[in-house]
Amino acid sequence: MSEPGLEGLLDAVHHRADGGDALWRREERTSLAFEAGRLKSAGVTEEAGTNLRVVQGGRVGVAGTTAADARPEELLARALASAELGEALALAFPSTLPLPHLPLYADQVANASLDDLARMGRALVERLTRDGCQVNVSIEREVSETRVANTAGGNGSYGATACAVSTGLVRFAGDDVLMVYDQVVSAALPSDADLDALVASIQSRFDLGLRIAQPPEGSLPVVFTPAGLAAILLPLEMSLSGKAVVQGTSKLGESVGQEVFDPRLSLTDDPLAPGRASSRPFDDEAVPSRTLPLVERGTVRGFVYDLETAARAGTVSTGHGHRGVFGKPRIDYSNLVMGTRDGAGPGPPGPLGGGLLDGIADGLVVDDLIGVGQGNVISGAFSHPVALAYRIQNGQITGRVKDAAVAGNVYALLKRIGGLGNDARWSGSRWAPSLLLEGVSVARR
Amino acid sequence: MKDRLREALTRSRADYTEIRVERTWSSAVSFRGRRLEAATASEDVGGFVRALNRGRGWGMASFTSLERLPVMVTRAHELSRAVRLEQPIRLAEVAPRQAEALLDLDGDVRGVPLAEKKRLLEAYNGAMLAVSDRVVDTLATYRDEVSEYWYVNSEGSVVHELRPEVVLSGTATARRDGAIEKGLESIGLRKGWRSVRDCVARFRAAAERAVALLDAPAVKGGTYPVVLDPELAGVFIHEAFGHLSEADIVYENPQAREMMTLGRRFGKPLLNVGDNGAAAGLRGTLPFDDEGTPTQDTPLIREGILVGRLHSRETAARLGERPTGNARAISFRHPPIVRMTNTYIANGRGTLQDLIGDIPLGVYACSAFGGQTLLENFSFTAAYGYMIRDGRMAELVRDVVLAGNLFQTLDRIDRLAGDFRWNQMGGGCGKGGQFPLPVTEGAPHVRIAEALVGGELGR
Repeated sequence: MSEPGLEGLLDAVHHRADGGDALWRREERTSLAFEAGRLKSAGVTEEAGTNLRVVQGGRVGVAGTTAADARPEELLARALASAELGEALALAFPSTLPLPHLPLYADQVANASLDDLARMGRALVERLTRDGCQVNVSIEREVSETRVANTAGGNGSYGATACAVSTGLVRFAGDDVLMVYDQVVSAALPSDADLDALVASIQSRFDLGLRIAQPPEGSLPVVFTPAGLAAILLPLEMSLSGKAVVQGTSKLGESVGQEVFDPRLSLTDDPLAPGRASSRPFDDEAVPSRTLPLVERGTVRGFVYDLETAARAGTVSTGHGHRGVFGKPRIDYSNLVMGTRDGAGPGPPGPLGGGLLDGIADGLVVDDLIGVGQGNVISGAFSHPVALAYRIQNGQITGRVKDAAVAGNVYALLKRIGGLGNDARWSGSRWAPSLLLEGVSVARR
Repeated sequence: MKDRLREALTRSRADYTEIRVERTWSSAVSFRGRRLEAATASEDVGGFVRALNRGRGWGMASFTSLERLPVMVTRAHELSRAVRLEQPIRLAEVAPRQAEALLDLDGDVRGVPLAEKKRLLEAYNGAMLAVSDRVVDTLATYRDEVSEYWYVNSEGSVVHELRPEVVLSGTATARRDGAIEKGLESIGLRKGWRSVRDCVARFRAAAERAVALLDAPAVKGGTYPVVLDPELAGVFIHEAFGHLSEADIVYENPQAREMMTLGRRFGKPLLNVGDNGAAAGLRGTLPFDDEGTPTQDTPLIREGILVGRLHSRETAARLGERPTGNARAISFRHPPIVRMTNTYIANGRGTLQDLIGDIPLGVYACSAFGGQTLLENFSFTAAYGYMIRDGRMAELVRDVVLAGNLFQTLDRIDRLAGDFRWNQMGGGCGKGGQFPLPVTEGAPHVRIAEALVGGELGR
């Protein structure tokens, strides 16, 4: 629907259904792509759509549309048809609640011209260019507006901006390919310090990768960098979802209050982190955001819920309902913080490994793995070839390791953490330092 | 609609302009455990404009409000003008086409009530749950769509298509004490309602496999002779080789081009690989790509030698080769980029038993949970596998992850069976933020003389 007419839509819901809620979102994106150091394309995207959920006769139905010419009655009719088939569920929509104030809209992002963005990209290209290498940069700027309302009187809207700058350096030498990527994402434009850190992060990992080292083999200490941690945290993210708890597939469903992990492990979801693109004053079901401890000093504290899974679990939503234009809301994390976030942001980039390499006679630094998310993730078992990894010998990085794979089970490995690095940073919407785990299985071919 | 698009083209001031418009009706049903998650019908409408000017870059605009079409044509032109290029973008010649390609809807899904789709999926989901008490969770999904598609460009092409698609998937999770295993079934067809009504046995088999894997040991990590079933062989050729044959990886990069020089030996003479967007009745099949280029069968490896690659009009012009009809976009939200269609390893000779008969200790790796490639390195996860002992199939094993280097692995393919088949799975291919693109993979049983199988050492 072209107008954000949620009031009209909810009036219609009032007349023909027991209750309901709706989300309207508009997004405008501008993107620039530099390929091999040249600006090749510029694009804009304008997208708007409405997602409607109704409760009728105790059953829930959903419908969505991006059609600008769709009438509210037609969307409602589809949602009601969906509810006829739907499951019975006692959904309680949040009524008018005080919403936290959270500045997510930066004028400098909204007003940045194509030239401003292109200049930023060109500067990165210049700083990263080297002989025989290809520099790729993409810059995306987004301005969005979100409105959520329900028939219980809950109602809110907010504007937000986001800017993502991704860059990478690629070198083909014979049959060897070295690729190093990084990005900065935030609600504001990246500062000079952010861009310096981005360049330094790529250059240092690239330089260390020029030399090839033989992969080690056996049960070894492995340092996972903030970027390389994804495979370690993904099984926990799955098991800490209220959905997995309700379905009985969570490995942590029965563990609340128990010390399952090393006391140095803490995980918090923080939707109120200032200046982050994944922050929000309330979720897509009008539940106010709050900081939620999931694991505190090794002890499981709770799970993330949306309205539906909370109703099924007999608890309350934690404000983690995420919805798109199509389909029903589902659970999603906002900003997942490992450890604590004291201080405003990352300091100047230190050496790779966050100071954890001292004392490691033989091991690996893992910065990127291939195939994360494939396989039987929730069980905690992982086995991945390395995409970017370095060998540690006597506390020093001695080169890049190819043709090696790491494997283990995160539940076993996280019982005893070898150390947390001093290099905590944002990687997308995750804040984490490097993590040293002992006894990771390393295979080579 | 055609007149509206032609009218918008005539107003464009760009040297080259193309417009795509899509209106997609879709419905989706999903079950999680015994519970219906949702049954919904949706409508998605939008357009995409791409403009190019001499000495300038691409300007692109996508939008959901079709009233904005004239504004967006202007915007794409302005964006193109804003991008200055020293080395101009050229497009390889493609004869303009005017075509009506209304594919057979094979039982138009739009005419089938949502309740009937729910009943069908409920039966498939129920068949998984009925296998054993150990099946503690299931996820069953049904999704269909009919997409009406228009493409016009300023060279005179006008294409109008009606594209059906139906995708079913089932995941069964079995659990005993702390052990959790999964079984997966996936079906994806460029067809309609008539094609998906007889799949119950496949869903049941997925759940049976999940239960059986609870008792299976993890494969011991190491290097083995590995035989891939046709499904995994298809994923392998797509992931490990297909992506490197996409010309956008090499066209801006002289060193990468050297690595992918036509004429380079990639495998033994028994190896033939291609990509066929025109193969009849497959999910990756369409008459034209999203630049209006007709699709075709493109040989990539012939008798072990690299002979071709996949192109858009831009990459073809840049490399002085011919467009192959592989510029594809997943929707109006995205520009066309070089993608695969139906990628295959051509048939060999003999049977599976011929391939395993002389293997003292090896792994038979079956079906795929997924695969990823990072240029010359790849990883794919088999859904399950069997040990091969003394030339015979032995015990079921779990956690079979194959990792390798493309060049070494292709060269180590030493036997192909004569049992080629296309694997019409759901899901799809992801690249450049565009996922899932409908593709198909096909292969016979393939033997790799030596490959690294991941897994924890010594367990």
